[in-house]
Amino acid sequence: MKISPQRSKLYLLLLLIGIVILGFWSPRALIFGLQRGSLYALIALPLALVLGIMDILNLSHGELLTVGLYLGYVLAINLGLDPLSSIIPVFVALAIFGGVIYMIAIKRVLGGGHLNQLLLTFGISIVLIESVNIIWTSRPRNIHVDYAGQSVEIMGITTGSYEFLYIFAAVAVFLLLRLFLKKTKLGQAVFAVGQNPKGAKIVGINVDFVYLFVFALASGLMGLTASIMLPRVSIFPETGNPFALISFSLVAMAGMGSINGILFAGISLGLAEAAVNSIPGYGGWSDIVFFGVLIIVIMAKNL
Amino acid sequence: MDSVLKAEKITKEFGGLTAVDNITFSADKGEILGIIGPNGAGKTTVINVISGILPLTGGNITLKERQISDMPPHDRSRLGISRTFQTVRPLEKFTAMENIMVGALFGRELTKNKARERAESICDFLNLDRTDAHVDNLTVLELKKLELGRAMASEPEILFLDEVMAGLNSSETNEMIELIRKIKDRGVAVCVVEHVMKVVSELTDRVIVLDRGEIIARGRYEEVSKKEEVIAAYLGEEEENAED
Amino acid sequence: MKKYAFYLILLLLAVAFPFYIDGYLLHVFLTIFIFMTMALSWDMMLRTGQLSFANAGFFGMGGYVSMVTVSSLEIDPLLSLIFAVVFAAAVAFILGLPVLKLRGIYFAIVTLALAHVFEVIAMNLEITGGSTGMVLPEAIFGGDMQLLYWLVLGMALLTIGISEFFARSRMHYAMHSIRNDELTAQASGINVSRTLIIVFVTSSALQGLAGAIYVQQYAFVLPESTFSLDYLLLPIAMALVGGTLSTAGPVVGAIFLGLISEYLRLIMPYGHLLIYGLVIAVIILFMPGGIYKPVRNIILNRILNLGGAS
Repeated sequence: MKISPQRSKLYLLLLLIGIVILGFWSPRALIFGLQRGSLYALIALPLALVLGIMDILNLSHGELLTVGLYLGYVLAINLGLDPLSSIIPVFVALAIFGGVIYMIAIKRVLGGGHLNQLLLTFGISIVLIESVNIIWTSRPRNIHVDYAGQSVEIMGITTGSYEFLYIFAAVAVFLLLRLFLKKTKLGQAVFAVGQNPKGAKIVGINVDFVYLFVFALASGLMGLTASIMLPRVSIFPETGNPFALISFSLVAMAGMGSINGILFAGISLGLAEAAVNSIPGYGGWSDIVFFGVLIIVIMAKNL
Repeated sequence: MDSVLKAEKITKEFGGLTAVDNITFSADKGEILGIIGPNGAGKTTVINVISGILPLTGGNITLKERQISDMPPHDRSRLGISRTFQTVRPLEKFTAMENIMVGALFGRELTKNKARERAESICDFLNLDRTDAHVDNLTVLELKKLELGRAMASEPEILFLDEVMAGLNSSETNEMIELIRKIKDRGVAVCVVEHVMKVVSELTDRVIVLDRGEIIARGRYEEVSKKEEVIAAYLGEEEENAED
Repeated sequence: MKKYAFYLILLLLAVAFPFYIDGYLLHVFLTIFIFMTMALSWDMMLRTGQLSFANAGFFGMGGYVSMVTVSSLEIDPLLSLIFAVVFAAAVAFILGLPVLKLRGIYFAIVTLALAHVFEVIAMNLEITGGSTGMVLPEAIFGGDMQLLYWLVLGMALLTIGISEFFARSRMHYAMHSIRNDELTAQASGINVSRTLIIVFVTSSALQGLAGAIYVQQYAFVLPESTFSLDYLLLPIAMALVGGTLSTAGPVVGAIFLGLISEYLRLIMPYGHLLIYGLVIAVIILFMPGGIYKPVRNIILNRILNLGGAS
């Protein structure tokens, strides 16, 4: 579902206006919103990828993040690996993990109805949460790294510096993904399969492999994000849950199959959330803002 | 001849594209009207707009003197407009008989028993034998009859058939032609959108020719088919096809 | 005839449970019936082709309305159930008018979002006790498990009745026609929005009732547990495992999954949910139509020797 160029320019303009306004009203909220929003976008991206190319809504999406977090935790505790250095190992491990899940389970329901896919991924999600629970119990884990606790001063405000990494990572991943899809042969094959799997098969593309690759890539990306989040988040079996819901919502807002839209949607929501949070006394309602915006956007686009 | 349906200056726009442009025509009881024209002329859009699936951008539609331009599709169905779809869309959950019953249950709001009776008599009328078969097992002809049956089940005043002959062989086409004639004899106004010219010439009492959303000719098929503008419109379609 | 005798026996057994089953097992079945109601009501929406994720939202809403009316209006908990049902139905009607125009995953996600909105509202209002929830001095029926069981059984039977009504009346044709092909349904004279509203309001009201009864069991609400995703996901799993688009499927699925999860919880204090998840995954992979039909055939054909095809 592509948005017309005029529409997306309008959204971009609105976003920029929103950023400026927020910047004046509460620079802290602006910064925080950009950071959180980037994180949301980073997490939602793999889901959008899988949904767009394979047409599967992966209900175990949040658990991939959780698994990545625990893996990073284990590497940090047992091998003393610094979270940022563990990006590559966790990426690879999660990619392999995702590939295995694809081969054992996901592959078989590709043709079946959406319901079966949802239920299967729901089952997988339970299995993952519970496995993690058994191995590590529900006691929250944390990793502390010095550089994650640093602050920096911007526009007269002191704020944590680590989370800017989210913005950087989000932009980098999105750009790299775009380049990949447009410029590399494999990327173009992936894009083609997403557009028209039957057509792609006729042209000789190995659709099976593309699906495996996409699912593994998406899982790997979750691992990457998990590594980056590691020092700043409390790790317990349900950590991934709220992020999963946010991801589903972003995907719906951006429109099925739109990958670029995820970045904008994520940032918009991060900003909206931060804005409401900064209103004294209304902090608890920020979730409603999120859902409210979501509902309004979906209705507006579909009615 | 009473006019069952009157479409007055109907227009349908999609964003910047005008699919149907200021068209006026009427359909009478007991006659078969043909709507012909090259691909993309707007024929199916006319049906969609009259049956209510798409809202009108402009103009008026009256059914037996009654304004229906603002009515939702299910109300128009109950008042007596029925249509078949170009690509047959059977309801997979139900058997052939049940598919037809749906038209009777809702188009005519009969009770289940009466609906079943009506469906059975329609199956007889159409020579549809395997009524308890699941739709997956039906042949193309049977599926077409199914569509026809479901549309007939609501006892329509006017029936729109959208390229119902597509995909049928010669003898099947003849059978369909016979059935449609029988339907007409029952007093239903019939509108056929057709691409198969042999059918149009045999079946229709008169035709209107659409091109790019406008009516470029009307009258009996024999006269209309000789007109320059009509030939040009179809040739234009051939040229476009050749260029592909 | 044999079929009806079979059902009648089952019914009598179920009604008589409290007389020969102890409190623990009774409670297990009570919970199964509550989830059965949820599973059936979800399936009703599914028959119209709409995938709804609003279950937990209306469940929680019913629970909260029931608690609030008891504490603020000081009415009998039994009466509060009516408030819960009416409130849930009204909200479903008002929200349904715009939301039911959506289709597919958009409808699903908006219903999920709405459910969360309900939760956030419950978490932020004073009257609902905010994030610490509410407690009432006394549970419904003074905590009498037997009466509670019959109440829940009654609700389950009501839901089964409504489901069968939908399956045997013209609603059956309307719902499945819309699910199969909405355009054809419209062209055949079916009023799609009216059908959808009717089913949505009915299923939401049932979910509200289930939530209200469930909550009155313990006379306790807390946002994160009363609106728990469990009330969304488990009923869906039950319907899918038992076989969707039918009355028997969700019923069988609720009993099957309910008993399995309870059994697992007993023999494996840790990891029972893990097996539960595996069971779901395995059934989807190997018996995607649900277990109801194959199991029914085995029972009818092999065991009872009733013969005949599926």
